[in-house]
Amino acid sequence: MLDSVTGSLERYMDLLSARQKIVASNIANADTPGFKTKDLDFQSEFASALSGSQPQASEVTGLPVKNDGNNVSLDREARLLAENAMRFSAASNLMRSQLNTVKEAIQGGKSA
Amino acid sequence: MSSLFSALSVSASGMAAQRTRAALLVENIANSETTRTPGGGPYRRKDAIFSSDETGSAFSSELDAQLDGQSLTGVKVVGISVDNSAPEKQYLPGHPDADADGYVSMPKVNPAEDMVDLMGANRSYQANVAAMSAVKDMIQKSIDLLR
Repeated sequence: MLDSVTGSLERYMDLLSARQKIVASNIANADTPGFKTKDLDFQSEFASALSGSQPQASEVTGLPVKNDGNNVSLDREARLLAENAMRFSAASNLMRSQLNTVKEAIQGGKSA
Repeated sequence: MSSLFSALSVSASGMAAQRTRAALLVENIANSETTRTPGGGPYRRKDAIFSSDETGSAFSSELDAQLDGQSLTGVKVVGISVDNSAPEKQYLPGHPDADADGYVSMPKVNPAEDMVDLMGANRSYQANVAAMSAVKDMIQKSIDLLR
């Protein structure tokens, strides 16, 4: 960790990848009887991730349950998949600009 | 925190399961009029049974489970159900497999139903491919930070 900003970005990207894994798991189980959609509460998990705890996945309530007891909504998962990818892209670009700032300082501004 | 690579194996398990399901559906459609099988009698409809799979077989996901205490949920085909209900009787007196009354036991396969199921399997497979490529992009973005 270079400073508090990169530290927060690191946690943010960690949490996004954890969420993306849950989404991938939901999509893989879209046809598994009895499977229930899981997700993270992003806001509260981010607040607790800053203090260094592991994210906890919980079941999502309020989704319509199909006849086989499965409540995975592919539309919901597709939206989350795209949202996470874009958030991650934004965070990685911010992280890169942070790293470039440090790189420039190391090189004494010569590369600019 | 486990790595993003384990999400790839979850999507891969989904793709494998959907491919198995599609293969069985295609088999059902191909055999929708088969009256003879090695086991005797007409062809019997087959279907894949899906179950969520807590333990990944890949080394990395095993390692993650050890470090994290929580593993990712993939999917696997735990069995193939065979429709053992009584076959449908059709009156076809000239058929070589007709019984004394002229009835033939035909498989209980509805090709339209299986075609719709096949489209569902196809769409689910595509959803898994989309998830895999989104995760792959995230991994690539992380690697690009090193440049």
